Order: sequence, then structure tokens, then C-alpha cells
Amino acid sequence: MSKVYFSTWRGEAINNFGKPEDAWEESAYKLPQQYNEHADSKAFIGWDGVALFHEDVDVVRLATEYAAQYQVYSEACGRCAPGRWGGRILFDLLDKIARGEGSMEDLAHLKEVAQTMQTTSKCEIGKTVPNPLLDLMQHFEDDFMTCITEQAASKHYNEEINYIAKITAPCTDACPAHVDIPGYIEGVRDLRFDDSLKATRQTMPLAHTCGRVCPHPCEDECRRANLDSPISIMELKRLGADYETDHGFNFFHPAQKKPSIGKRVCVIGAGPAGLTTAYYLALEGIDVDVYEDLPVLGGEVAVGVPEYRMPIDKYNQDIEAVKDLGVNFFTNTRVNADMMRQFEKEYDAVMIAVGTRLSKKVRCENERPEIEGYWGAIEMLDQVNLWEKYGIGENVDLTGKTVVCVGGGFTSMDVVRCSIRANAKKVIMIYRRDEKTIIRNTTYEEYHEAVEEGVEFIFHSAVSRMNDENDVLKSLDFDRFELVPDPDGGRAQLVKIEGGGFSKEVDFLIPAVSQSADLDLLPPEWELEMTSWATILTNGKDYMTSRKGIFAAGDCEYGPMTIVNAVGQAKRAASVISRYVQNGGKITLTDDEIMEDHLRKMKVYNKKETVSGWLAGLPRQVSEKLHVDIRKDNNNEVNLGFTQEEALSEADRCMRCYYIAMVAH
Amino acid sequence: MITFTIDGRDVEAARGETILNVARREGIYIPTMCYLSKTTPCASCRMCVVEAEGVEGFVLSCQTPPTEGLSVTTHSELLETERVNIMRMYDVNHPLECGVCDKSGECDLQNKTLEFGIDRQHFSAKDQAREIKNWGLIHYDPSLCILCEKCVHVCNEIIGDDAIEVQFGGYKSTIIPKNSDELDCTFCGECIAVCPVGALVSSEFQYRANAWELSRIPSTCAHCSAGCALEYEIKTGGAASVGQESIYRVSNNFEVATLCGAGRFHFDFTADTSRDTADFSQATDALRSCEAIRFSSVITNEEAWILQKLKETLGIKLYNEDARHFQEFMRAYTMKSKQLHYGASLADIKASDAIIMIGSRISTDNPGVRYAMTEAARHHGAKISYMHPLEDTLMQNTITQFVKYEVGTEEGVVALLALALLQDADLDTEDKNILDQLDEGYLSAESNVGEEEISLMMNAFARSTKKTLIVGSDLLSHPQSHNIAKLIGLIAMHSDFRVMIVPKHVNTLGVSLLCDLDADEQTASVVGYNAQGDFVIASSGARDFSVPALNQQEGTVTSVDKQVLPINVAVGFEGSTLNDLASAVGVVARETVDYTCKLPESKGFQAVVFDALENFYTPLGDDVRGYYLSTRHIADVRVTPLQDIDELPEFNGTVVYHCEPVRQFNSYTAYHSDEEDRALVGSPQFAVAAKISDGDQVEIALRAHKVIRHFRVDETLKGTVALHPTFDLPLEVLDGQYRFEKVKIMKVGS
Repeated sequence: MSKVYFSTWRGEAINNFGKPEDAWEESAYKLPQQYNEHADSKAFIGWDGVALFHEDVDVVRLATEYAAQYQVYSEACGRCAPGRWGGRILFDLLDKIARGEGSMEDLAHLKEVAQTMQTTSKCEIGKTVPNPLLDLMQHFEDDFMTCITEQAASKHYNEEINYIAKITAPCTDACPAHVDIPGYIEGVRDLRFDDSLKATRQTMPLAHTCGRVCPHPCEDECRRANLDSPISIMELKRLGADYETDHGFNFFHPAQKKPSIGKRVCVIGAGPAGLTTAYYLALEGIDVDVYEDLPVLGGEVAVGVPEYRMPIDKYNQDIEAVKDLGVNFFTNTRVNADMMRQFEKEYDAVMIAVGTRLSKKVRCENERPEIEGYWGAIEMLDQVNLWEKYGIGENVDLTGKTVVCVGGGFTSMDVVRCSIRANAKKVIMIYRRDEKTIIRNTTYEEYHEAVEEGVEFIFHSAVSRMNDENDVLKSLDFDRFELVPDPDGGRAQLVKIEGGGFSKEVDFLIPAVSQSADLDLLPPEWELEMTSWATILTNGKDYMTSRKGIFAAGDCEYGPMTIVNAVGQAKRAASVISRYVQNGGKITLTDDEIMEDHLRKMKVYNKKETVSGWLAGLPRQVSEKLHVDIRKDNNNEVNLGFTQEEALSEADRCMRCYYIAMVAH
Repeated sequence: MITFTIDGRDVEAARGETILNVARREGIYIPTMCYLSKTTPCASCRMCVVEAEGVEGFVLSCQTPPTEGLSVTTHSELLETERVNIMRMYDVNHPLECGVCDKSGECDLQNKTLEFGIDRQHFSAKDQAREIKNWGLIHYDPSLCILCEKCVHVCNEIIGDDAIEVQFGGYKSTIIPKNSDELDCTFCGECIAVCPVGALVSSEFQYRANAWELSRIPSTCAHCSAGCALEYEIKTGGAASVGQESIYRVSNNFEVATLCGAGRFHFDFTADTSRDTADFSQATDALRSCEAIRFSSVITNEEAWILQKLKETLGIKLYNEDARHFQEFMRAYTMKSKQLHYGASLADIKASDAIIMIGSRISTDNPGVRYAMTEAARHHGAKISYMHPLEDTLMQNTITQFVKYEVGTEEGVVALLALALLQDADLDTEDKNILDQLDEGYLSAESNVGEEEISLMMNAFARSTKKTLIVGSDLLSHPQSHNIAKLIGLIAMHSDFRVMIVPKHVNTLGVSLLCDLDADEQTASVVGYNAQGDFVIASSGARDFSVPALNQQEGTVTSVDKQVLPINVAVGFEGSTLNDLASAVGVVARETVDYTCKLPESKGFQAVVFDALENFYTPLGDDVRGYYLSTRHIADVRVTPLQDIDELPEFNGTVVYHCEPVRQFNSYTAYHSDEEDRALVGSPQFAVAAKISDGDQVEIALRAHKVIRHFRVDETLKGTVALHPTFDLPLEVLDGQYRFEKVKIMKVGS
């Protein structure tokens, strides 16, 4: 809810002309009324309308500046005739009117060009730029007419006003790493795979990885879904990454690495968050040292995500790209509090990105870690992956064993599917809720593939007790639950069914309910503020902890979440740190980042919007998966990815929904 | 098939076919400014929008496949309004210099401006100063550029140079060299060909003629075996009088076909008789009295057939080492494949998703094959294994695996391939035994091709369904070519790979089919026909008697596609032809092309008269040039078993690889070369090993020849083999010889 003088945003028609400010009708949307802590916004203008927060806004100039911003953003145009020339004509005509030299004919031409852009432009940015301009011309016709009839400049034509613009897209907005998704898909469509990869790497260094194991929240906010079904966004990321790898190119970095600026940053943890921080800091010419507890680089994606889902040679390519920028890595180095104290002195900033590597308990009776057969998911996956991918440690062989995993998320899926591959006799997944929820928490593919491979799913159940003989696990007791709908429409309640319990003889209980952060490394006297989830607290915008110069990102900040979330946080943190180390320890956000946060709050995707200009019904491509019989006893990658033809058809479905939004303050 | 309607007409679309494609096939007109048939849609002009029933707004026909039952309208008042407005935008600030623009008369912008009746500038925008760029053979004027992106698409998708890109900047957008300040490419000129306006033009052609003054002579390129279609554009009017016409430029049907830089820019190889030292009777005397005719494969099928007839009539020998090696290779290949010709075509390569290329520096040996590989890589994501002792940076964005083998070990490498590809094949016992007994470890160690490299290759091909093996001329001229050919034949017969064996010269394949060739014994009394001899009859270089060049005569050549293609007279020739000479010595015909319909059907030729041969592509892109050799199954060939491979040769010391720089092939292209083209080019490592440095003049002692060349270090090269050009040397110096050669190199002069 924002207080507005006037708004046409998302079709609303709020017009408080002549009303006193306290009687203003409010907008239904979370518009960026306050730009940042220092400045109030005067107006917000974007693809779906315009909102004025003050009476005194110079709408003619606002329109002109919006058209000008459209010119500035190179990725916005230059790719189609109506956008390229139309955008320039719009600006020239508007500016002519705004400076008091316009004519009625110019107004007519404006409308004519606007119409052509709206119906024929290549991307949504060209199609939507005229929308708020036409709104303004309609609702503030007098202002435009005054400029024309009196041949006078608009009222604030010569004043200093800040106009901050930002390009976005629904998918980009939904992606925690804000990847330029339409950009990388356009690269695929145009067969310019290097450009595709560069678009990805602007904000996401792990292109191979997030082309495989991302839960793709972007696809939930893909505008194509309004027409038929969303673009298969995630998998298209592979094309650029494979192009670089297959042809043995030097790494396509999004920008040339700057020469060293003599600043040093230390990163604890070489997982997705640590790698991302290192990558973007190194690009800025900052010297980065990364310390990693494990003997290998990559964090949970290396030792947690199994080979069949994320082949290590592909992940290593992503890691090599980081190494290519000269980042120093120290493996087998467990950082402790003393080292942290030292790092704080030695480095210009410290990033904590240690993830969450402690398996939480299932909370049943007799849950004692010393019982043989009780095996934390993290430890189990560590052993599997270190052996399968690196030949470190020993092989996990579950021949003849019965394994029960308690979970429901990605980690538990990895546990059960690895157990199948380790030749377990029987693999059971215990989940408190239902099938629908497990699919929502993971992906349909993950669940479906696990079932195919022979995992038995028992829903609405939980382990109530571990039964051991001499500290050797023998069996488990389970409770059964039923879902009782909440009469108030809330989340259904789990209610235990009395007498519905059952027991099973098992060899292993693997808890994969959740993980927590191991933060022994934090010097106690720092008294870092923590969240109620026992993760490190930051404001979620600049990722500095309560201690100056100490930053945190990824799972140890957010709690166990996705790779892309860790990447997004770390990318932002790297940007903040790169300025922090250069400007005397000030925490700042760029205008682009401020706008990014505003837009995410408003949400760019509009589920209710009707899509025009595209033919519905072109099928979403589905990549080939390795058949269950040839995959379940080995680590061959299950998802074979798109063929080139499939990828190109899929890329053709992308509607290039770029938008431009602008705030005046 | 998807059934739908366009403008009320029932039509059908194949899977993936777009609305625009179907419309074009059905003869329904939808205007476009940026569409190019052979590339993915640029989708920049937006002229091709159509209405689709039930869809709000317009749909872009060039990139939208139809859905079942869709009803499409291509023309309406609304569509017309928007299309007119787009044209009005295209015309904003477009310089009014049609009077001097090269493109005038064949300009898409000019045509569409007239078509849509734009007679004044409707919209206005502030004009901008834009700098004209001179990129060598290519001239770019950004103020004429409409940013259709066709040039960028062909450069990346068809050619593979990927040397230009759009610098995005809205109204300021422009085309720039990619990753460098100056254009660094093979200068194929394809960007010029596809440019719909006068933005990209040939620097050499600029301001020389107007489109309407030029006559177009359709022909076939003479430079390599790709057999690319081209049109010689000649000017006859003005100061030129009949017989003194000259070629002003070469153009092609860029919508579907492609040309390399040699084809496009090196067209001026016409012969004249001004420097002849002998007259007609001396030439016929030479023929009558010679023991052999030595000739090159840069001749027509008809000339080859005449030479064959001369052999039969005069009882002389015919020398052509290039074609003889090809012939021998094909003979051995046929033994195992049971086919007279190899199976794959350029279209097969383009459609491939797996390719093995062995024994060629294909980017310069045969650009047509390279372009087909580029298309396979881009459009089908082909996995391409490039097997050669030398890496080629031009191919980096096309190939997915470079397999380096040691010079000379081709037989072993092909055997390793055969072992991998024929694992489950049902072979003759004899051949199977030979293969089974091969010492894989030895072959692998000597050739330096590891087992893991082969298995990486096989894994990469795991999902592939259309596979092609391309065999280059290193293998044809290899001392063990006979056994190599048999192995390749077995692969063709028993694996799912189609095989292409790339002939070297424009008509190597034709000559190899038509002539009964003898081993060149350097006999005394040899008449050279486009080759060295005691008496030389030729169309280029030093000669005693001139005959017309390949752009001065009618005839046919047989391309790598096994297609018999017509060539035509672009420029007249005041002199005699081989047919005239032959007629005088007893092989009589009125015209050379009287032989066209007499070429032997047993070799796949057809009894078609020359004038009945077409030479064009249909508007839909169908190739109706000449005809294809018919396939011949050969069952009753004498078969000899594979040979065991006992020892692979080693090449130590200073080794050069005979291969041409870009846009160079032979004496026809040599006139358009500079010292840079003629240089010996080596890696820094080679320079050290050969004890020479960048810029040195060096004497290279080849087997039978010494050449003085400039030496240039190329930092992008690796290894200790240098690239040695041969285009400026007499053909038979190298034809038919193994392309790697141990040489002595000495620094000379200062």
C-alpha cells in the first residue's frame, strides 16, 4: 500500500487531483514511495503504468526521461526496427515538446510511433515503454498542451532531478541471483553461446551447476506460463557453459579482470557462496584468499549433490573459472576463532560462507548419535561423494542393508538415491506430510526419478523411537499422522493417529530433516547477532554482520536454502564489499541494487496479465533422461540435457519480457 | 504435419516449420527485411507480423511454428499500417545517396520503400555522425546500415568466423568487429553478399559499376572441389567492347548458398594469348610427338575426357598424380564399401550431429566443407572430433575435440578409429582377424592417440544419430593410403558413419573417374596441360600456348557432392581450346561440350547435353544445378584383405605441412596474393627448432624444388610443424605427395 497522488499502475485508476493529501486514495501496490533512507520518490514509472507521489511532478519531463532511459539501456534496444528507431523518435518528440518547441503534429506522431512499438516490437520493453507515456499524455493532456500552445518548457525542465532506471524481467526478478535470463536465452536463440554465457556470468558464475541443480524459482514467475507453460529456463543455461567447455575456450568472463587495487578479502568456505564472492571480488581487482575445511573445493555441491545429478567435471569447470581470476584457495584448512581474529586484522574484509553442515536430529526417542546405524545425511553424502568423485576415503556399500531416511527436501532425495546406487536392499523415505508437499519442496523430476529407481516413500509418518541392541540399531518405531484441514483455511494440521504406529527392522537411520550451521569459528567475544534459526544475522541487503567488516552469505546466513540463493546473496555481498574496502568502510548499495530490491518487493511478475502478440500452445521441451535400468546402479548423469534442436525450439518460446522501471527523486 | 490455414487456404507445416516458411512454400507473400533462409531468424525487422485467429496482437511469422487448426491472416489494414510505419522508420535519416550507392538497383530498402509508397520522411529523429570503416576487402558505412543482423548471423552460423557483432546501443547500434578493433576474419565476403543495403560493400568493387549495368553469368567456382554456385557479373557496355568484357564482381544466391573469399574476390584469372611462344601447329605437333600429357585437375570433365581420348588415340600416357592417388584410394575404398562413390554429401554434413574429420586442414583445403561443419555445429550442436597433427584456431568454435596425432601415423589412427567403430560389425573373417591382431597399445603409443581420447569421442557421440566421417587429402597421398582406404571402406560399409572423401581440386573427382592415369615417371617429352612439361599448354602461369581458363569456357566439373556442375563463359577467349587442338590430332568434336552427354554412364555420369543442364537454386532453396552422379554398387570387384600394420613411420627434424593460407588454392588465386600469403608460417617453437626468426628470408629445400620464402612467426600456432603454402608452385611439385615433408631450411640474404 503506497500513498499516491496519481496511479495507473497495473490498471488501477487513482486520481487524487485537487484532494488534500490526507484524503488521498492509496495504491494497492508496494510502490517505491521512499527511494532510500535519504530520499523520497517523486514518481515511479514503468511498463505497467505510472504513479506520482507528489502533485508537483513535471509529467512531460518524466515522460521524456523515461523515453531517454530507454535509449540509454543498450540491451533494451538495438535489436528491432520499431524499438531502435521508435525509441529515438519518442524521445526526440517528447523532448521537443518538453522544451517548448513541439507541435500538435508531433503529438500525433508520438501516438503513431507508440502504437507501432506496442504491436510490433521484439521484446516487451519496446512494447511497454509507450504504455505509461500514453497514460500521462491522456491524464495530463493539459500539461502537454500548455508546452505546445505556449511554446514553453515544461515546469521543471531545467531542474536537477534524479531519474534512476532499471531493466528487469519477471524471471530475472524472481531469480535470487537476478540472472539476465532473457539475455542468455537470446544468446541460445541467436546461436551466440558465448554471449549467452557472458549474460549468465554477469551475476552467476556457476553456469554448469545452475544449469543442472537449480530449483528454478524463475520458472514459477515466467510470463510464458500465462500463455501456456513456462520456458525451461534452467536447462538452457547449459548451452553457453557447454560451448565454452566443449570448444576449450578461455573463460568468457563478463568483464575483464581489473588490475589489483591492493585490497585483500578473505572468504571462509569454498561452496557456492564463497566461490561467488571470490569471483566477483576478483573481477574488481581485489585479492581473495579462500579457506576450505574439506580436502576439495565446491562445498555441498561437491560433497553433497551426487554425481548423477551434478557431474563433478562440470562443476570443476565452474570452479576453474573462479581460479582463472587468480583467487587463492587453501583446502584442508579448518578456520577457528583464533584464525578469525587474525583474519580480521590481516584482511580488509572477511566473508563467512561456511554453509550449514550439521545434520539436525529427527527428534525421536533414544536418538543417540553413538548408535551404530545412525548416520547424519551430511556425513553419509560426504563419504559417498568424496569416494565417487575424488577417490578419497572409502566406498559406501549398502549391499543387503535396509536404509530409512527421514526428510523431504533435496538432501533426503540425494540420500535415498545414493543408497539405491550403493546397492541397498531396501530404501525407505519417511515424510510427515504428503506427496504433493514433497514435490513442492523438491521438484517433480526428483521425486519421480527416485520412485522409478525403487525408493519406497512412506508419507504421513515419523520415526518415534530408535531400538538398539548394544548400541547397534535394530529397528525403528514409527507414528502415523493424518492431515486435518484447518477450518480457518490455514496450513493443514498434522495429527497423530493413535494406535496407528508400526515398526520396521532397519540397518540405518539417516536423518535429513535439516541442517544447521557450524559456527564454532566465530570468536565468542565478537558476539555476532544471530537469527532465531541460529544463523548469522544480516539485513539481507548488504550482508554485513553486526560486526564491521565481517560479512556472511549463503546458507550460514539464510539457513539451508538453494545454490542460487547463496549465489545471489554472495554476488550482492561482493558488490558491497568491493566498495566497502575502497571507500573507507562505508556500506553502500548502488542505485541498481536499490531498484532491484524495490522491484522484488513489488514483484515484477503479474500472474493475471494477459499476454498478447504470442501464439499459445507451443510445447515446452523436455530433455531426455537416462532410463532407470541403465542409471540406477551407477553415477551417470540422469538428465541428458537438451539436444540442440530442442534447445533452439525452447529458446524460441521465450518472449523476452524485459521491462524498464524508473524512479524520480 | 500440422494443418492450418493462411489467408483461408488450407496448408500444412512440418514439425518446427514456421508460418513464414509455409507461406513462402505456398507462394503467399509476407514482406521481410531481415529474414535469411539459411540462418536462424534475426527477428529484427518485425515486418513479417501476421494476425492469428484468437491471438491478441500480431504474431511474428518468421519464428513461430503454427498450431493445429490455426487461422492466419497475412494482410489486413492494421498490418499494413504497422508495416508502413516500420518502413517509415527504416527511412528515417537514411542518406539519400542512392545515386552513388553500390546497392542501388538491387537494394531491399529501395525496393520496399517503393513497395510501401514511402515518398517522404514521415518521422524525424536527430541525425548522428557515424564513422565509415575500411576493413580491408570490406567497407562498412554505418549510416546506411539498417541493423538487420543478417551479416552477423551468417558470419557466426554459416561461416564460423564469428568475427562481427552488433554493438548494442539502440539508435546508435552498429556493426563492429568482435573481440578486436580491426576486422580479423577470413574475408569470405559473405557479410557483403547478405547485406540488403549498401552498408557492407566490397572495397574493390565500390563505385566501379551500377547493378543494372552488369550481366550475370551463372557458373561454378573453380577454386576447390566444393562446387559452389556463383555468378560472374560482367560489364560489356560503356568503354568495353565485345570481347573485352571483364568481370566486375562475383555474386551468389546468398539466401541458400555460400561462397568463400577466393570464390568471391579472386575471379580475375582469365587467360589471354598475348604471351604465347608457340602457335597452333606447334602445339599440335607437341601433342603428336609427346610420350605423355601431364595435367592438373583444374580442368573440366570434358577436357579430361578429351585427354583420355587423346591417350587412346595417340597411345600416350596420362599423368595426374593428384587424381591418380584419389583414384587408387577410391579403388581400395570400393573393395570394402562395395560402392563406387563415397556416400556423404555436404547436406549430410550440415545435418550431422557427430563428425570425425581426419587428415585435412579443412578450413583452407575446402571452405565449403568447413561451412557445412559450422552449420552442423551451430544448428545441430554436432560433436566434432578434429584429428590432425596441427590445431587450427579457425575451427575452435566448431570442433568439440581436437585429437592430435603424430605426423605420418595416419594409418595407425584410422586403424584405432576402425577398432572403435567396428567393434560389433559383421566383418569378413580375414579382415576381422587382422583387426583383432592389431597391437592397439603400439598404435596408440606411436600415434599419440590415447585410448581415453577415442572413448571420449565415442561417449560424445552416444546420443548422435547422424554421423559423418570426413577424410582429407593427407590420407589420400599417404604412403599407406591403400590400406587406409580399405579401413575407411570398412567403416563406410559396417558402421553408422557416412563417409566423405574430400577431393583436392575443383575436378579431382571428375578426372579420377574419367581418365585412365599412369604413374608419373617424369618421362622425357611431356606436354603439360595446365601443368609443367616440355611444352606447356595452359590457362595460367608460364606457357607456350594458351587455352581458356575455367571462367572462359563451357563445360562441367564434378564436385565433392558428386554433382556434375556447369561452368560458363564469363569472359571471351580469343584463341584455341583443347578441343581445337585435339580435333586437329584426330579426336574430333565441334565443341568441347559435345562431350558432356558422352561422359561414361558406368561411372555415374548421365547422357545429358550441356545446354540441358540447369544452374540455379529455386526460390525455396532446392539445388537444381547440373545433376548428381548416380550411385553405383560394385559387387564384383577384386577384393584383397586388409594389411597388417607393422610399423608406423616417424617424422623428426624440420617438418612442414603443405597447405594454403585463406583465399588461396592455386595459380588461379595466386595473382591476388601478397608476400604474407606466400610466407612460411611457424610457431615460436618451430622458429627455435629451425633456427630462424620472424621476418627472415629462408630457402626451403623440398623434395624436388627449392623455394625462397619469407618466414613469419604465428603465436597462435603450436608445435614444430610449419605451414608451407603451395598455391604459387607448379601443381605437380606437390600433387599426390604426402603433405607433410621433412625439409631443409636455411636463412638466406639479410
